[in-house]
Amino acid sequence: MRLPSFELYITTRTVFALIIINKAGGLIYNRTFHDGGLNKISTNDYLVLAGTFHGVHAITARLNPLQPRTTTNRASLSSTTTGAGAGDLVRPEPPSGLEVLETENFRMQCFTTLTGIKFLLFADTTQANVDLTMRRVYDLYTDYVMKNPFYQLEMPVRCDMFDRRLGSYIREINNR
Amino acid sequence: MSYYFAIIGTQDNPLFEYEFGTSKQGGDGQPRFAEQARHLNQFVLHSSLDIVEEVQWTNGQLYLKVIDKFFTNYISCFMTAGNVKFLLLHQPTATAGGGGGGAAAASTRNSTSVGANPTSPQTEEAIKNFFNEVYENYVKAIMSPFYKVNMEIRSPVFRQRVTAAGRKYL
Amino acid sequence: MAHLGPGKAASSKEQTGLRYPSNGKTIYHRPLNRTKTAELSQSSFAYLFSEMVSYAQRRVTGIQELEKRLNLQGHPIGLKLLDLLLTREPPRSQTRPLTIIALLHFIKINLWTHLFGRQADRLEKSSNPDTPDEYMIIDNEPLVNAYISVPREMSQLNCAAFVAGIIEGVCDGAMFPARVTAHSVGGKEEGEMWPGKTVFLVKFQPEVLEREALIGKG
Repeated sequence: MRLPSFELYITTRTVFALIIINKAGGLIYNRTFHDGGLNKISTNDYLVLAGTFHGVHAITARLNPLQPRTTTNRASLSSTTTGAGAGDLVRPEPPSGLEVLETENFRMQCFTTLTGIKFLLFADTTQANVDLTMRRVYDLYTDYVMKNPFYQLEMPVRCDMFDRRLGSYIREINNR
Repeated sequence: MSYYFAIIGTQDNPLFEYEFGTSKQGGDGQPRFAEQARHLNQFVLHSSLDIVEEVQWTNGQLYLKVIDKFFTNYISCFMTAGNVKFLLLHQPTATAGGGGGGAAAASTRNSTSVGANPTSPQTEEAIKNFFNEVYENYVKAIMSPFYKVNMEIRSPVFRQRVTAAGRKYL
Repeated sequence: MAHLGPGKAASSKEQTGLRYPSNGKTIYHRPLNRTKTAELSQSSFAYLFSEMVSYAQRRVTGIQELEKRLNLQGHPIGLKLLDLLLTREPPRSQTRPLTIIALLHFIKINLWTHLFGRQADRLEKSSNPDTPDEYMIIDNEPLVNAYISVPREMSQLNCAAFVAGIIEGVCDGAMFPARVTAHSVGGKEEGEMWPGKTVFLVKFQPEVLEREALIGKG
């Protein structure tokens, strides 16, 4: 994909775009928050981006280095994998896969929900607290998409209320 | 005194009925209606519904007090917000034993001065308390998700509660 | 284990074959006012309501029918709340609403506070002389619609038809038979301030106005 031009990089607008990918790798939401924040690419390119990222993410999730605890505490690991470890309640975190992708001009943060939905947030490299923003975006999604009786799972998100709330939340951040 | 209590739905359909006697002044809580009068009670009670419909729009109170009288039968009424009527027919008896058959009906006519005066403020208050307690339980009954408006109230617990209220106040 | 009052349960159990909760407590053992000020999770309501709408939407032929079904879901709630809310009033103000205004105030204040934790925003009488039987209850942002975005192809739909059903239940229960419908008016006249603004149009049956006139005279 093309990179944002330099003069946009120095503006204060820091959250550029949000993409939501369903668990099959389909693009279900795509929104740019500021005209020119990111160069426009065609809808088709967005679909390719979503599909490609989905595949890369799946592979990186398997590219996990072995956890150090495998060597330090073999006994406890074997007991957790069999599910019988009464004393060892900590299950190893499942590998998260690709989380951050950074270029000179922007940083892309990925958050995967428990149900396999991916949120990709494109922000300025200097933007702080992207985790928090992501969290809030997820909140808005659970409220205004998941509680909407007219939304069908895995289908493109077309919820006015979500658009409105998301828009005003990001505007608030970007104008800070 | 003998009492006949009925809950009448919005379509003038009975939802619940219960007969009992006074538990005050050594009463044993048994109704002393004459056998023929027991069938008559239902007619007397329902015939007062016309009067209820007139009174209900002039008085916003839930408890409408004694609204009708048929010989020695007094009818007290309580309207719920949902237009369900609680009607209580009360009939003073001549003697504690009450006697059977037509003799009782004849003898009660000239014995209204007996301690339990149906229109005295005390009686009014007692009936009000009785109605209020029944109302509370009625609201609980209709809160059941399986209860629809104008359905007969079959709950045995409700019946126990009405019995207890009768014993407590009347 | 605590059982029912003196040996009552045992006998009635045999009569009816009803089953009681294991602790012997039925709804009759619960004080009516216990949950008077209790609050519910808005999220759980939102999920429940979302399912109710989906359920009502199954095999409907049109938006009108969907609204009708939502209305029917609310109706019994209104009938029951009427009695519940009146019993919770202090004894002095425990009166049945006899006039349209008294009834609408009851809805605006008591019913709304009970259901949504605040009063309805406005109460209006139709200014059109041809429709003296129409009243409007206005809510700027109905709680039931908090998370609902209606798709464009169903733009006439307002899921607050459910609340309209509750209002209709209250009116019908109090012997003021009426038709109540919910209409979205957000973003039309007063700008975009309240995009979810909803008007509940209460249209009373002719006999209600007739009676109202008679009571006014007497």
